[in-house]
Amino acid sequence: MNNKKKLLWIAAIFAAALILPLIIGEFWVHIAIQILIMGLFATSFNMIFGYMGQLSFGHAAYFGIGAYATGLLIVKASIPLHFSLAASMIVAGLSAVVFGYFCVRLTGIYFAILTLAFGQLIFYIVFQWYSFTGGDDGLQGVVPPDFLFSAYSYYYFTLIIVTAALIVMWMIGESPFGYTMRSIRDNDSRTRFLGINVRAYMHVNFIIASMFAGLAGGLFGPFNRSIAPDLLSWHHSGIPVFMAVIGGSRSFFGPFLGCIIYTFLMAFITGFTQYWPLVIGTIIILVVLFAPGGILGILESRIKALLSWKGIDEIGKKTDDESY
Amino acid sequence: MDISLIIAQFMSGISHGMMLFLIAAGLSLIFGVMNILNFAHASLWLVGAYLSYTFWYILQDYSIAMWLSIVLTTLSMGVIGMIIEIVLIRRIYNRDLSEQLLLTYGLILVIGDGIKIIWGVDNKLIPRPEIVATPIDFFGIPFDSYFIFVILTGLSVTFFLWWFLKKTRYGHIIRAAVYSREMVSALGIPIPRIYTGVFAMGIAIAGLAGAIQAPIGSITLGMDMSVVVQAFCVVVIGGFGSLLGTFVGALIVGEVYAFSILLWPQGALIFIFLVTAFILIVRPWGLFGTPMRK
Repeated sequence: MNNKKKLLWIAAIFAAALILPLIIGEFWVHIAIQILIMGLFATSFNMIFGYMGQLSFGHAAYFGIGAYATGLLIVKASIPLHFSLAASMIVAGLSAVVFGYFCVRLTGIYFAILTLAFGQLIFYIVFQWYSFTGGDDGLQGVVPPDFLFSAYSYYYFTLIIVTAALIVMWMIGESPFGYTMRSIRDNDSRTRFLGINVRAYMHVNFIIASMFAGLAGGLFGPFNRSIAPDLLSWHHSGIPVFMAVIGGSRSFFGPFLGCIIYTFLMAFITGFTQYWPLVIGTIIILVVLFAPGGILGILESRIKALLSWKGIDEIGKKTDDESY
Repeated sequence: MDISLIIAQFMSGISHGMMLFLIAAGLSLIFGVMNILNFAHASLWLVGAYLSYTFWYILQDYSIAMWLSIVLTTLSMGVIGMIIEIVLIRRIYNRDLSEQLLLTYGLILVIGDGIKIIWGVDNKLIPRPEIVATPIDFFGIPFDSYFIFVILTGLSVTFFLWWFLKKTRYGHIIRAAVYSREMVSALGIPIPRIYTGVFAMGIAIAGLAGAIQAPIGSITLGMDMSVVVQAFCVVVIGGFGSLLGTFVGALIVGEVYAFSILLWPQGALIFIFLVTAFILIVRPWGLFGTPMRK
């Protein structure tokens, strides 16, 4: 597909997102905000998973750090939201500088374990540091400024920031840096022979991905009006993994699509049962057992024409058949 | 800080380490043999704890109720492990890492809610029988006699696993399967059945750990979360797939935990992570593991 057509599609989706709140009710605007924030989270996760080929099971930690950075600045220092969002990215990025340094030394299953262990470490620090983070009571009264108080205005605010973040991430993915990441994913020894410092590149990518996760977390706090330490926990880290797997990790918008599916499912199912984890756990198991490659993997072959706009990562698609 | 306190803390560290060893041993065994990381291992440990409560509740009129419930829990968790392997794990041997981990992650969610539905949200407590209820004199220091039982159980399981893997025919088959699945199956040995057995054994040991954890304190929802991370630290420190490494790693983590609780109660887990991070820098493959295979 040529670039012009791709841009046309994206512009159409953005325009649809702009007029969306005029059509739907307030409940669905909340759902739409959630889709935007979690979609940003899932896309940032996919910078590590899809582009770098490593599975992080602790990405929620950076989301949570971002949420707490914004939350604490708003609650304790009354710093305006746009400054604290920047702080969210910086604090999440700095944590990733420290923890990422160790994580990128390992690959495969060891990378997954270490990211998980560090994620839980951050979770426990937040969970037990009562005087600063409020411990397991969480942080209450994370209120956005007046002009963003209504769901509609917060929707447009989130839409602008998430769109900007997605554009930046897309540009990173299409830059020489992004192609270096793909090359590391497909063959890190060959990449090293080209004279590229593989560890340093992975570390930088880890930091960037964590910064965007922090931004998503920063947006989430004022949207939810409160922050709980659960946001950092391992349970929350599994969500973007699931989104990326059902949406397809080898395309830029795949995780976002997975996020839309996940969020609609959640909105629908939590309407009549409190056992959401049981339901989503069962769905995850069934998808893994019976629909490898995700729901879209099945759909794609049938309505390929309709979904062909997904194929932004055409280089990545070609390497799908090669070893992973 | 006087010497008796240090000794008491040291012993409690060993007993905590033994508990971690029982959990991590199954985790490490399953990973070493089947190359599958079972995220839900600690969830199944918690199921074991709740199951032993149920067995104890049914049998509570008999004096040996607690001991019997430990045995019954171990056996039934072995059966549950077998079922999980046959129904779920067997289908994902050759899948991507992300799908394998997602499946066991899904299991955590299902088990967590399942426990809530079956056993409710109240804490459960198994009172200890007389013989392990009173502290005993340990060189002039009072020491929880139940911890002696935990330590002895841990040592017995360690010895059993060592004997099983090194001295028996099945142990030899399992160790051979780690090096070459193809060669072992070419010799006419059914690999899937071996895997089912290994998974069942790992889960049975986790169930045993859950059952002996139950009388230590009350059983609460979510107590698996802190344990699972410590178990991961144990296998990372010791090296995946090494029984000796898991044993040493468990003792290190147990002692670090016991002594940091004395110094800075909230920071216990942080110290464990610092030790883990340090070992990862010096030896990324763990103390007793072999360098990563590509």
